[in-house]
Amino acid sequence: MKNKFLAFLGSAVLSASVATAGGFQANLQGQKQIGMGHAGTGLALDQSSIFFNPGALAHLRQNGIQLGVSALNAKIAYREPAPGISQAQTDNPLSTPFQAYASFGKEESPLRFGIGVYTPYGSSVNWGTLWQGRFGLNELTLQAIFIQPTISYRISDKLGFGAGFVYATGNVNLQRSIPLQASNYAEGQVELDGGASGMGFNLGVYFQPIEKLSLGLTYRSKVEMEVEDGDVSFVLPSSGLITSQFQATKFGAKLPLPANITLGIGFRPTEKLTIAADIQHVQWSAYKALRFDYNAGIRGETFSESPRNYEDVFIYRLGAQYQVSDILALRAGAYYDKSPVQAGYLTPETPDADSRGVSAGLTIALSDRIDLDASFLYINKKERTDDASKSGGVPGTYKSVAYIPGVGLNYKF
Amino acid sequence: MKNIFYKFGAAALLSSAFLFSGCDPEFEDDVQVSAGSLDLSKYVAVGNSLTAGYQDNGLYLEGQVFSYPNILANQFSFAGGGAFAQPLFTNEQRNGSGYLRLSGFTATGSPILQPVTTNLAVRTDAAPLPGGPRLAKASNLTGIQNWGVPGISVLASATPVYGGVNPYFERLLADNEVGQVSYVQKVVATQPTFFSVWLGNNDVLAYATAGGVVDQANPFGGITPTATFNAVYSQLIAGLSRNKTAKGIVATIPDVRSVPFFTTAGPVFKAGLPAAVTQFVVLTKSGAQRKVIARDDIRVGNTGTTLFTLTSSAYLGLLGQPTGKYWRDQARAKFPTDAAARDQEINRYLQTYQVDTTKMFGLSVENPLPSALVLDADEQAEIETATNAFNATIKAQAQTHDLAVFDAHNFFNSIQAGFTQNGVAYSPAFITGNLFSLDGVHPTQRGYAIIANEMIRAINSKYGSSIPTIDVTQFRAVLFP
Repeated sequence: MKNKFLAFLGSAVLSASVATAGGFQANLQGQKQIGMGHAGTGLALDQSSIFFNPGALAHLRQNGIQLGVSALNAKIAYREPAPGISQAQTDNPLSTPFQAYASFGKEESPLRFGIGVYTPYGSSVNWGTLWQGRFGLNELTLQAIFIQPTISYRISDKLGFGAGFVYATGNVNLQRSIPLQASNYAEGQVELDGGASGMGFNLGVYFQPIEKLSLGLTYRSKVEMEVEDGDVSFVLPSSGLITSQFQATKFGAKLPLPANITLGIGFRPTEKLTIAADIQHVQWSAYKALRFDYNAGIRGETFSESPRNYEDVFIYRLGAQYQVSDILALRAGAYYDKSPVQAGYLTPETPDADSRGVSAGLTIALSDRIDLDASFLYINKKERTDDASKSGGVPGTYKSVAYIPGVGLNYKF
Repeated sequence: MKNIFYKFGAAALLSSAFLFSGCDPEFEDDVQVSAGSLDLSKYVAVGNSLTAGYQDNGLYLEGQVFSYPNILANQFSFAGGGAFAQPLFTNEQRNGSGYLRLSGFTATGSPILQPVTTNLAVRTDAAPLPGGPRLAKASNLTGIQNWGVPGISVLASATPVYGGVNPYFERLLADNEVGQVSYVQKVVATQPTFFSVWLGNNDVLAYATAGGVVDQANPFGGITPTATFNAVYSQLIAGLSRNKTAKGIVATIPDVRSVPFFTTAGPVFKAGLPAAVTQFVVLTKSGAQRKVIARDDIRVGNTGTTLFTLTSSAYLGLLGQPTGKYWRDQARAKFPTDAAARDQEINRYLQTYQVDTTKMFGLSVENPLPSALVLDADEQAEIETATNAFNATIKAQAQTHDLAVFDAHNFFNSIQAGFTQNGVAYSPAFITGNLFSLDGVHPTQRGYAIIANEMIRAINSKYGSSIPTIDVTQFRAVLFP
């Protein structure tokens, strides 16, 4: 079963979608936490603590491996400003953000090592080549895979620290139409495609003053994804006067994946019930502008820059877990995520709005060593109308929803 | 033809709301569409080349299909509008009058415009009219709703004679009506429930595009007297309105100086002038009168006054040479085969305008730049006065008959600095500005769609209707080789 699962992972499209969180953040890093509104910074649930709170990892009783994947089905609808009635809808590919965590360390040792591979940022939107915003965007795919070796140290039964180094690798692919038509009516198109990488870290502290209460605080640093030597390709009318204006063949870009500070609390009023609440501060203000630098001119310009000016936001998460029996745990949760995109800055890449997520999940213990997690998250973003006057985006009204089922497998040893 | 209609259909479809299914995101409010108090069951469009869909210096099937009245009718159909019949060319004759296409660029970046001469609707079985060769008659003479006639002016619309002059009007008339029925009579008889009138441009434009030259052989080539304009226009609107039974929209006449036909050649000419040339000589108005124009008076952007027509590009490069090319070309256009008549015509020109072609073209008083290539400050003043007077009439008639107004004069002036919409830059620049077709006067299909949307906004604002606008990106601008 594990092999099959890995094969599925390998064949899947490793990207998340815009609809999962503000901006292009994808908050889908643990199947148990997804079932609880993605809260869990103040808990020591399983190996996903490598992401949620490295300080809690050393408080896990057992080592283990966890593999999980979500099937992200996000749809965005667009309507042009009144009195226009033209509508469009994205045809996004199903994307599959995943997570894989493993921890090692002797049972009696206060020290744990871990490694996590997960996809905290990503975006996949496909508006196609016919909608009226096509000169802004046809299709955008952003993928970022974080690889995080981690060390966690349990100072006492009440206190733990953890730190992880993050190496991020990914790629970006952006396609948009160019408003130049050839004699066969074909419109021009530009495609930017490049690999990106960056580095960062993940720090966490876990504190459990009494049996019924635990607290967690984490800082996940900004990761600046840098594209060097990306490819630029054009489809254009063949006239030399036109092609001579589009000389670029390579591009570079930097995209900041913002820092997060999360404070979490875990509360266990009874043996069977766990309640978790997180407040996450996402420092989106790092994302000032989307800039591409070219090795040669495009219509006389060697770079293009459109302002984004995102603002920092808070995400509020609340979740609960009820241990029905030895083999079954049920979960439910919700979150509220403020949009980092200010008025006037909406773009078709991330037509973002304040979003509301509700989720449910369960875990079935298949044996002493193997657990199966399942989760389901529904995200509904508020309908948002924007004139896109500051971002050079596409004015209109946008509405997004997403349905995200996920499964995870835990093997404990 | 199927292809063209398919494209219009696709544009229309992409501009309309469609239903999303099941799990898809839904908008809180449904699309609001309403005709308000308007009865859009029978829409009739009255006007000139702009209304016909003329572009690229010709009228052809594609331009007809994407004409602004057809776009309006399509949008009206969301709010109870009826069918709209246009006098379309057949697919075999899809290139209509012939038109210009962009075939490439010269080494210096100037556009090469090539005439399209196949699949024309030009008749060879009947004698040409004074306004040009006859064109194939429309197949639906009794039901026509788009009465756009390229070249027609308010002045011409009143006289029955015009049916025997203008081939675009003649093709909309039964044989027994030609020369018997005026344009005003024909369109008033259609009794629309809703109409659009965009007429009057040619009451100044013919004079303007000829560089302020009145062709003595063409009774419709000058500026129409204001009183005549007033009388005919009022009669036309009263006839269509039928005492406010029908509603409609009228459009004003744009400032001729806002179109690339007059703004493209001058700046290029000025930039290429040798520093030693500080002034040049032009003929002004219709006689042998000369005028000296300073180099700095060439209008570039907002400075200077003198405008050069797009047609002057072919001759401005000859400045300073002993040449009579312009006059030879004029004579050849008039007498393509008869060499003797041509020579006689050239001599007539040289005498009338007192030109000595052995002298330096444009620089010497004896060989001035022809008036038809230049629109100087005096000529512009005449045009401006007339345009303002005509527009006052148009707006007053709208007021009297409770009609919406599309202020094209305002609109074209407001876009002079350019604007960006959905990631596309628009400006009045020739070829690159996306708004004007290859003749520099008429809009592209995209430009016509933008105009249609402006009209819809004016109609909605006047009558409280909610007629949807169309997605203009579905319409083409200039096609590049």
